[in-house]
Amino acid sequence: MKFRRRKQESLDDEIRDYLDRETQFNMEAGMSPEEAHYAAQRKLGSTSLVKENTRAAWGWTSIERFWQDLVYGFRMLLKNPGFTLVAVISLAIGIGANSAMFSLADGLVLRPLPVPHPNEVVTAGYNTSVGGFGGINASYRDYLDFRNASKSFDGLFASSTYTFGFSKGPDSPAQLKMGMLVTGNFFRVLHVDPELGRDFTEDEDKVPGRDAVVILGHDLWNKDFASDPAILGKKIRLSGIEFTIIGVAPERFTGLDNYVRPSLFIPVAMWPRFMSDPKINPLEARDYRQLNLKGRLKPGISVEQAQAEFTGIAKALERAYPETNRNRVVEVRTELQRRIERSPPDAQITAMLLILALAVLLVACANVAGLLLSRAPVRAREMALRLAIGAGRPRLIRQLLTESLLIALTGGLLGLAIGYAGVGFLNHLSPPTDLPVQLSVQLDERALIFSLTVSLLSAIFFGLAPAMQTTRTDVISALRTAGAETPHRRRLFGRNALVAGQVALSLVLLMVSTFIYRGFQQTLGAGPGFRTDHLLMLSFDPTLLRYNETQTQQFYRQIAERASTVPGVKSATLASGVPMDGSNLGSVTILPEGFQIPKGQQNPSIFSSTVDEHYFDTMDLQVVHGRGFRASDTSTSPRVAVVNEQLAKHYWPDRDAIGKRFRLNSPDGPWVEIVGVTKTTKYLWIAESPMDFVYLPFAQHPQTQMTLLAQSSGDAANLALPLRQMIREIDVNQPVFDVRTFDDFYQFRAVGQPNVVIRTVGMMGLMGLVLALVGLYGLVSYAATRRSREIGIRMAIGAARGTVLRMVLRQGVVLTLIGIAIGLAASFCAKRLLNTIFASDDVDFVTYLLVAPALLAVTALAVYIPARRASRIDAMRVLRYE
Amino acid sequence: MSTGNPKIDLLQGTLDMLILRTLLFGPAHGHAIAHAIERGSEDVLQVEHGSLYPALHRLVKQRYIAAKDGLSENNRKAKYYSLTALGRKHLTAENSKWDRLAQAIARIMRPAGEEGRS
Repeated sequence: MKFRRRKQESLDDEIRDYLDRETQFNMEAGMSPEEAHYAAQRKLGSTSLVKENTRAAWGWTSIERFWQDLVYGFRMLLKNPGFTLVAVISLAIGIGANSAMFSLADGLVLRPLPVPHPNEVVTAGYNTSVGGFGGINASYRDYLDFRNASKSFDGLFASSTYTFGFSKGPDSPAQLKMGMLVTGNFFRVLHVDPELGRDFTEDEDKVPGRDAVVILGHDLWNKDFASDPAILGKKIRLSGIEFTIIGVAPERFTGLDNYVRPSLFIPVAMWPRFMSDPKINPLEARDYRQLNLKGRLKPGISVEQAQAEFTGIAKALERAYPETNRNRVVEVRTELQRRIERSPPDAQITAMLLILALAVLLVACANVAGLLLSRAPVRAREMALRLAIGAGRPRLIRQLLTESLLIALTGGLLGLAIGYAGVGFLNHLSPPTDLPVQLSVQLDERALIFSLTVSLLSAIFFGLAPAMQTTRTDVISALRTAGAETPHRRRLFGRNALVAGQVALSLVLLMVSTFIYRGFQQTLGAGPGFRTDHLLMLSFDPTLLRYNETQTQQFYRQIAERASTVPGVKSATLASGVPMDGSNLGSVTILPEGFQIPKGQQNPSIFSSTVDEHYFDTMDLQVVHGRGFRASDTSTSPRVAVVNEQLAKHYWPDRDAIGKRFRLNSPDGPWVEIVGVTKTTKYLWIAESPMDFVYLPFAQHPQTQMTLLAQSSGDAANLALPLRQMIREIDVNQPVFDVRTFDDFYQFRAVGQPNVVIRTVGMMGLMGLVLALVGLYGLVSYAATRRSREIGIRMAIGAARGTVLRMVLRQGVVLTLIGIAIGLAASFCAKRLLNTIFASDDVDFVTYLLVAPALLAVTALAVYIPARRASRIDAMRVLRYE
Repeated sequence: MSTGNPKIDLLQGTLDMLILRTLLFGPAHGHAIAHAIERGSEDVLQVEHGSLYPALHRLVKQRYIAAKDGLSENNRKAKYYSLTALGRKHLTAENSKWDRLAQAIARIMRPAGEEGRS
């Protein structure tokens, strides 16, 4: 209130000025200085009264009134530290849970693209979903056709995330970096200007392999080049190819993916030079769909219009190129839709955690509302007094809401601290890998704004009804009988509903967290279906050293041969990906013989792994029918595959799948014979629903990125050194990454990540319970105090302690039972929702039998303690006091 | 201050008008306004100097007058009040209202013909 203070000082000056002048005036009239001074003072009257009256003339601006309310509210809160503490902590828990969950949701799904006007940017392309995980991709040829035919976009670009071996010069060691292959218009369409240097020219993505230019990501420039301003024109090597640095991307542009921060960007025209398989030309092959297409919609063009246009273009492409573009579904999606479809479990878990956090906040709000309501009679006299001396009801409501706001904001501030701790915990969700892949869960300004909004909304939510209630006072009766007025029925109903609702909500919270906990426990107990112990994993990508295909296969052959001879290795296998690591899973489409895919539908894509003949033994993966791969399955022998039981059941429900054939990847692809059926295991994460899976032999489907899994007789970690040594003997420059025991990896993916979810859910359940208990305890003890006079009379006329106890208990227990009934019904619905996420049809009676009675017992205690205290009332004292 | 004349307390609202009237002759500070009013009425009207300031601030709030810091004749800082356009208009309106009121009272208090204005 600087403004008011300045005004006050100005008034002081003015009065002093008057006194000086009047004194002067008097002295000129012949008085002595002293006399003159007193006469001036007399003439003015009481200085403080003058000031007081003048201040009254100023009136109050609304900001000043708000400030007054704030100061007054602050004093009221300080006067009732118990109330304030419980209210603030309740809200801090509720808001903190929401801040943390919002940060998680933001990191996983919600945060918009780091470009100007992100909501104009949409993704378009062919549906390439695999096993429920959505993908929208296109080949470079598709891209050119869509771009040339489409009129919906202010620019359409293509990009692909790519792993490079990055080195500063021919002699420095290569590091693994994630970068992006982009079309020349990438930055222009995104409205991102390089921080340093220049953008790609339109011409630089035209001629395959010609323009070896690179724009560095800000992080790489910062970390590996110490933000060197003279970087432009310098050379770096990417997987052995020399590139000239032409620019640096700005810091705020963190890429298009919420996990991957690209370190560098190169023209897509350079793509062919990174291919180890010369047979595939990524710029020409129409079915090599590895690019992500994004564009900025023209103003006024909706996603639906763009979708209609793309469907039309796809029809034309289908006619022109039936062998590659037939039966393909084209999709245009907003960024949010794309992220949700890309990983439905992420979106579902995020939504579930957000809803739970909201439930915690609701319980907290109900708590504070209950506290405020129970203080209404206490404050009735104060309110009546203020009404009597002329304050308007809106003014009083505003005053009370200001107090609520104070509580909410203090709670919000404390909540941010809780949220901060929560965010630290949630960051354990980031996968451990050598690649710069990190989920950034952070309390950024978006989370701050969210928390502030939540605080404000909750202030209105919990504050408005009690404020209306408190100010609805009969002035006369309130002033006459302080604190003994009987509450209205309606008021009682509101408070009872609050308590029953709180119990119901906290029951749902507890039930849901127990469901999830037990669900995970069961899945973990059942195991993933393969060995996780005594395994060491090492990954390679010889293309980073620009091995050609023959060299690559030669390299892997050597590894396979020599690994099993290393002392301590019981067996070793090469696989294109390890289970539970989604990033390395391949996918294929299969067309089983005699199985007709309905017209207009795409062939379903199925997750696949390419493995050698030792895989099933090394991983202890049971082949239930037929055989695993053999050394005799070579590139020249008939093509074979091993499928899992789920797939076999899917296509041959009542027949043996062994000996059946399918065409691989296209209607005229090679025939592949199924030679074995394995158990259905977990492939992506521990709580997934059973899915189709195909294993293909490495000898028939050579890959460039493989992982060596070595089974040890002793501690798996001890194999790291001899195995690295062995690799060095084969090729001293070969980078080896992600060296860790499979157990560590599995613990993280299968145990660690779910544990974060379980603990988060459990914490929220506990928070909800504690809050509800505090609320219930508060209500019953308050109700008992209010009835102390009645209890006193009852006891004075001979009621037994037990009768009184039962009377007080009854109220609380009835409310609890109602709450539990509602909560059970809601939990039943919640369980059905959970079942769709965790793919189970379990009813889980145990949880109902465990949680509901436990909650009843705890709440009964919360009711019993104050009830007992009420029955111990000294009747005489109470009555005398009244 | 002692004059032979009995002193008359100001009516509510009259002080406001007198202030506006005084400021018609130009900006003035509080002390000057107080003395101008007293002098103007030949010390008949007793201005409680203390009540001047709430009135001044009220008029500022009503935007009839404006306050500005300035330097007085002997280079001392003082707060000067001046009439605004709105205040001028208000004064005119109040003037005619006052005239009508004064006439009406005069008609009642004295027989016709004896009417006079101070």
